[in-house]
Amino acid sequence: MFKDLDVILHSQLRLAVVSLLISVKEAEFTYLKEQTKATAGNLSVQLQKLKEAGYIDIEKKFKDNYPQTMCRITPKGIRAFEEYVENLKAYLTVKPKN
Amino acid sequence: MEEKEINPAESLQLINSMISTAKNRLADDGVLIVFWGWLVIVAAMFNYICIRMNVEWGGAAWLILMPLGGIFSMVYGYRQNKKEKVKTYIDKYLKYLWIGFGVSLAITLGFMPFHGVKSSYFFLMLLYGLATMVSGGLLNFRPLIIGSLFAFACAVISVFLSDTDQLLCISAALLCSYVIPGHLLRSRYKSQHV
Repeated sequence: MFKDLDVILHSQLRLAVVSLLISVKEAEFTYLKEQTKATAGNLSVQLQKLKEAGYIDIEKKFKDNYPQTMCRITPKGIRAFEEYVENLKAYLTVKPKN
Repeated sequence: MEEKEINPAESLQLINSMISTAKNRLADDGVLIVFWGWLVIVAAMFNYICIRMNVEWGGAAWLILMPLGGIFSMVYGYRQNKKEKVKTYIDKYLKYLWIGFGVSLAITLGFMPFHGVKSSYFFLMLLYGLATMVSGGLLNFRPLIIGSLFAFACAVISVFLSDTDQLLCISAALLCSYVIPGHLLRSRYKSQHV
């Protein structure tokens, strides 16, 4: 039996965001937007979902009088990502039966 | 990119591409390495020429240029920090490495009268070698690692030279471990940030 893949992570944009954040200490909203080529509205919604799941922290502050949104992954997010990758491996190593 | 379901193979491909995007981003633009390389060479050569011409105040170059360099580095670092949209762990390690290097350097130079000019210059080159080797490893940039080996070699050679000729050794060490790799790092950074 396969474990179900984490529904929070098993979506293109959310997975892209978490993969970016797993490699860096923290990243600005604009950086995530550039790298994922997502629209600002959609990205905001997906970041909020990740935050509600406790996978990322979002910090809003001001830089030169402009609002700045910094995102970083939480220990819970790291564990969820690792588990997701393990489950993916299980799916991919099984060859389909003829 | 949109919000949509993906299959496991696509997931893995996406994870790979995003992680390599974030990893390949070069953390250092090389500006401070090149700047410090030239600054120390100018100070060392000025000091050397003054000694050879029997001018006494050659050492003043260090007292004036080094604090100015420190102020420039702090202002530049602060500005860069504000500009960066993403902070990597490498940025953090490099920051603490160079702060530690700066403190070690200041202590070595500050206590020069206690342990002599000759051993101070020797430790100076070892510190330069250490900082460049670790930076080269963190940035995965071979010219810095090779440059650091030159700095270590210069330190060893300097043991057999007079403290005046050690200034030439310092200049050579900085040219090989800072200036040349720094310019190469800069051109790599520019090619990645067009």
